[in-house]
Amino acid sequence: MRSESGTYNQIGLHSQETPLITGNQTFASVTDAISEIIERKTPRLWYLAIAFSSSLMIMFFVLIGYLIWEGIGIWGINVPVGWGWAIVNFVFWVGIGHAGTLISAILFLLRQRWRTSINRFAEAMTLFAVICAMIFPAIHVGRIWVAYWMFPLPNQMDMWPNFRSPLIWDVFAVSTYFTVSLLFWYVGLIPDLATLRDRAKSRLRKILLGIFSLGWRGGNRQWKHYELAYLLLAGLSTPLVLSVHSVVSTDFATSVLPGWHTTIFPPYFVAGAIFSGFAMVMTLSIIARKVFKLEDFITIGHFEKMSKIMLLTGMMVGYAYSIEFFMAWYSGNDYEAFAFLNRAFGPYAWAYWIMITCNVVVPQVFWFRKLRTSIPVLFVSSILINVGMWFERFVIVVSSLSRDFLPSSWGYYTPTIYDVGIFVGSFGLFLTLFLLFVRFLPIIAVSEIKGVLPQADPHYGKEH
Amino acid sequence: MKIDTASYKLKETKQIEKAALFVGAVGLALIFLGYYSNPNQFFYSYLTAYTFWITIGLGGLFLTMLHHLSGAVWSVVLRRIIEAIMKTLPIMAILFIPVGFGIHSLYHWSHTDLVANDAVLQKKSLYLNQGFFLARTLFYFLIWFLLSRTLHKVSIEQDEAFDASQIRKMRKVSAYGMILFGLTVTFAGFDWLMSLDAHWYSTIFGVYFFAGSLVAIISFLILVSLFLGSKAILSDIITVEHYHDLGKLLFAFTVFWAYMAFSQYFLIWYANIPEETIWFMHRWEGSWKIVTMILVLGHFVVPFFALIIRGTKRNLRILGIMAVWMLVMHWVDLYWIVLPSLDHHGVHLSWMDAAGVIGIGGVFVRIFIRRLKADPIIPINDPSLQNSINFINS
Repeated sequence: MRSESGTYNQIGLHSQETPLITGNQTFASVTDAISEIIERKTPRLWYLAIAFSSSLMIMFFVLIGYLIWEGIGIWGINVPVGWGWAIVNFVFWVGIGHAGTLISAILFLLRQRWRTSINRFAEAMTLFAVICAMIFPAIHVGRIWVAYWMFPLPNQMDMWPNFRSPLIWDVFAVSTYFTVSLLFWYVGLIPDLATLRDRAKSRLRKILLGIFSLGWRGGNRQWKHYELAYLLLAGLSTPLVLSVHSVVSTDFATSVLPGWHTTIFPPYFVAGAIFSGFAMVMTLSIIARKVFKLEDFITIGHFEKMSKIMLLTGMMVGYAYSIEFFMAWYSGNDYEAFAFLNRAFGPYAWAYWIMITCNVVVPQVFWFRKLRTSIPVLFVSSILINVGMWFERFVIVVSSLSRDFLPSSWGYYTPTIYDVGIFVGSFGLFLTLFLLFVRFLPIIAVSEIKGVLPQADPHYGKEH
Repeated sequence: MKIDTASYKLKETKQIEKAALFVGAVGLALIFLGYYSNPNQFFYSYLTAYTFWITIGLGGLFLTMLHHLSGAVWSVVLRRIIEAIMKTLPIMAILFIPVGFGIHSLYHWSHTDLVANDAVLQKKSLYLNQGFFLARTLFYFLIWFLLSRTLHKVSIEQDEAFDASQIRKMRKVSAYGMILFGLTVTFAGFDWLMSLDAHWYSTIFGVYFFAGSLVAIISFLILVSLFLGSKAILSDIITVEHYHDLGKLLFAFTVFWAYMAFSQYFLIWYANIPEETIWFMHRWEGSWKIVTMILVLGHFVVPFFALIIRGTKRNLRILGIMAVWMLVMHWVDLYWIVLPSLDHHGVHLSWMDAAGVIGIGGVFVRIFIRRLKADPIIPINDPSLQNSINFINS
């Protein structure tokens, strides 16, 4: 403000922002509260939880072993439903893996400072969800021992993957996404690892944390470089948030199958992915907040903001459902119209209406402040949304395939016990990784939280 | 043009209003004369020009609602300008009338005799028929009118006396307004542009149309702010920091547009179903190929590399050039959507294309200036105003 600043100062009142972090925290109390979670003796509850989740995980790997031994015939897939639960699960887990990078990259670029309370474990969740996702297409190839053929490795047979296949784009898109998300997550962890190193009591802990914190001293120059690197990584991750699920959508949309081939698929899949990702962040953060007593760091305000994003993306998904339906009629194409009528009123109508109820009706509760500030309501609706998003993929994959162009091959797809077991088992892997994370790494970004405290303002405590 | 420092209202705008009206009247007179020489060309040129300006107005409505919903602080200083752009919508509705008269020239589906021999169009006739088309358009304008009026009314009440309930009201209206906006804009895109090729369909088209309007509104907003700044109005309130953010949004929306355009093209190209590819074939014949390439390069590649640089967004001269560039490209985009329906063998630029843009533009600018001067040019009682003025990109 130059010359006239005096005049303008008289107009306008200062807006009062509600604090992001409650409980009159200081820098020290933030460090203590979050470090303490992983420095104290391992609680018995954690052992119980990991015993449960790792049992599921073992079941997952045993079933995969059996699958590799016996072949994918143990699944319910057949012609024409050649894609079944495995692809549904793949899209489901990749979708969940979208919230982390959205929160850490896009919300960072949009200056949404509330993201600092949830970004760390959302990013961790992203990584674990993507790990679960990557397993499904890999085991679906049948001959998993040649899965490395998916990578363009020079070889004496002169064989290359089909670069025109969306499935190979998936390999690149998902592995790039995983790598960049991992880097982003790790870069964010460095200052916190250094804090933990400085607090470490045992020699081994000090050495290990010292290695992983890459010699971080917290000096002015280090911070300057660090913040620039963080901004650049955020910029690089942003297109990835959009590209991964767009590429996943091309698995379907590049085909000529009614119900799969529609131009709105890329943005519609991205919106759905963010929707389900936020629902999973919500479910996990409600539990973590309660168990680790993080009410000061993850406040009701955070949940409100997350629920608004879920309301928005839920309506985008609803928009896509409606436009698809309208266009199926408007196209004047009998096959398109049939595909959609079959979805809503055919043999899989039950799945379709579960999808509509969970993804379109349930998020409407977030319109009401009373409901979106109620933890039980949020918890139940976030789980229902993920149920709905799983069914969305099921409806897309199965309803279109089971009614192909040859009525003689029509049938009803039923999953087998192995389909169910592997899907349930993947939650075991996901939860095991997540439990290890909450035990050994700071689940909230300590240094970033400090940045949004009032004390971080350079004018804090000074009179204007 | 000056600003009244007591009331923060624009004054001495007569000259520019007159100039805009003169330009608008001449442009419209010319293009209406063109009707007598080549009615088909007239309607196609007019529709292109009309959608060019209405998408800016619609962008204004969208940004106003987005501002309220997101509770953004930096854009408070721009709020009144955005609202004034939004307030052009009711009068722009009147300028739709020539399109209504041109239904038979523009829209193949409006000829009942042709539809009778076309099995596909017969199926669609429940939706694509004259009466319903006009009723829908009327409905869209009614929604846009009601939303813009309510949002503007509450905003002006704030100038009298601030009350927290006003913010809540604007947020509430914007929340359901956004849903109505999303649906009306989608179907306006389907009706006005997609149905030019009555057989063709694409589910993303509504979002694509909307993406174009986002690029247009940000470009227009940058130019208006620069123009006001050149007259020493708000020049120390809308600072380089605000331009930097506008530049970021221009970049983001350009990429968003490209994402939609690419999704539409790529999926249709890959699946290679004749009833869908025909639309792109028509834009790849003869000299249309050049327009397509201009669009790819000019609407995405050039601005992508130009605007990704921090310096571009903070250099007001270059940012201004980019804003003009993107507005031109937005027009090329609409031209590329509309005109192949008239002749898909090649581009025939007509003087009416220019006359239409200038004519409707003159009227648009005049309404905009009159709306802008009606109220204080910054929301003087907005609690975030001071923070918005002092806003700095960290």
